Amino acid sequence: MAEIYPINIWINEDRLKRLQQAGLADMAQEAFAGLKKLAVPANEKQKEAILKKFPMAKFDSATTKSIELLPRDVKDKIFDLVVTNRTLDVLDTFLACS
Amino acid sequence: MTDVNNALSPHGGELVERVMEPREGRKKAKEARIKLTIDGSRATEIMSIAYGFFSPLQGFMGSKDVDSVCRDMRLQSGYIWSIPIVFDMSEQEIKEKRIKPGDTILLTFQGQPFAVLELEEIFSYDKAMMAEKVYGTREEKHPGVKRTYAYKDKYLGGKVTLINPPKINPPFDKFWYPPKALRQKIAELGWKRVVAHQTRNVPHTGHEWLMKGAWFAANADAVLVSCVVGEKRPGDYIDEAIVLTHEALRKAGYFREGTHLTSILLWDMRYAGPREAIFHAIVRKNLGCTHHMFGRDHAGVGTYYSPYAAHEIFRQIPDLGIGSVLTLEWWYCPVCGEVTYSGLCGHEKEQQAFSGTLIRSIIQDGVKPPRLIFRPEVFDLVMQSGEKYGFGSPFVTQEYLAKRNPIITVPPMEV
Repeated sequence: MAEIYPINIWINEDRLKRLQQAGLADMAQEAFAGLKKLAVPANEKQKEAILKKFPMAKFDSATTKSIELLPRDVKDKIFDLVVTNRTLDVLDTFLACS
Repeated sequence: MTDVNNALSPHGGELVERVMEPREGRKKAKEARIKLTIDGSRATEIMSIAYGFFSPLQGFMGSKDVDSVCRDMRLQSGYIWSIPIVFDMSEQEIKEKRIKPGDTILLTFQGQPFAVLELEEIFSYDKAMMAEKVYGTREEKHPGVKRTYAYKDKYLGGKVTLINPPKINPPFDKFWYPPKALRQKIAELGWKRVVAHQTRNVPHTGHEWLMKGAWFAANADAVLVSCVVGEKRPGDYIDEAIVLTHEALRKAGYFREGTHLTSILLWDMRYAGPREAIFHAIVRKNLGCTHHMFGRDHAGVGTYYSPYAAHEIFRQIPDLGIGSVLTLEWWYCPVCGEVTYSGLCGHEKEQQAFSGTLIRSIIQDGVKPPRLIFRPEVFDLVMQSGEKYGFGSPFVTQEYLAKRNPIITVPPMEV
């Protein structure tokens, strides 16, 4: 099975409100006894494209195997696509339009 | 190869101290025929040599030491040493200044006399070979290899002496403990067993438990947090936040008074994985530590080294005279309801691993991490440090790199 590397979008109050308004609150996962996140899946090709496009981002290869440190405005755009399209499978669309 | 006792503490049996009082230093500076300006990285390496952090080194390495360190991880004297400490310079500049072995060279920093180099040798060395031996790769995307390839074509070897000791600026001044001073403090506090924690991160509870676990494992009196302060990259935590938050763990009572001390090591990380682990062990032994904790991916970068390469290398070298506390990671387990040791917790499927990178990501998203993984006192201080020292951000920005307060200031000296 192909490896999946999530982009964790941490849910702040604004993001939670928007998820609730869209009826998507269940899409968020619980994490670390008090946090919520959207884990937007990236395949190997998408991971490489994201890291190339946003060099400040980091793939945490040692511990979490997730893509972290994407700028907040970039995550906002990914979040918007998730809410608009009502799916976590948005990275091809995001990469095509960014 | 000379047979030596690598277990001696300090490394080599004697703490190097090559620091002159300014009056004496002024006299020494006058002997110099040549003057060279150095950058901050070289200045801090000179301090580390002169104050004995790098004992038994007394200066920048000559060709035999560099070759021996690269090939055999030992100095010519036989003592284990894993990373070349070199003074690079272009052949053109050497010719222009007519520099030759036997010269005494005055090194200036911040426009002031700083140190003298008594030049013994000028040599060249194959950079690709150095990279391959030290970092295990010739790929330039490895930051240590990149640094190696950026060296100029010649190296100057010889002893250095600090002739104008710099002032350490706040907030770093209270964390500055050269080996002699720290050894004295450890003795005064009555600590017999001290375990070192290497860090370049603001502590999350995974780090806190690594330290506490190491304290238990070493049956230690105290933990010495040795914060690496050096070259920064955009997105890293600012140095001020790192040192102040480690101190905050003690001030807020997560470590009781008398069991925890925060200090700084001026060093540009090489990300040499297992070789850097050995270097860290030697430096912390010189500081007076009896043990050193090594966790997952110690001093690694990307996927160049296996996660526990640092653990493996300590099984292959002679006793360094500092105990290695080899530890796995701590993770959050929702079943246990706590941060727990991965070597004991059986909920592998449910566990939630976290890292400094992940916590930085949470903070960047404008979310306050829960106290189970990030202490609120640490979070508050991170944000305050950003306001006070980071031009509004606790993370390194171009503005911080350009305008930050210097860590050291060299006092004026007339020569």
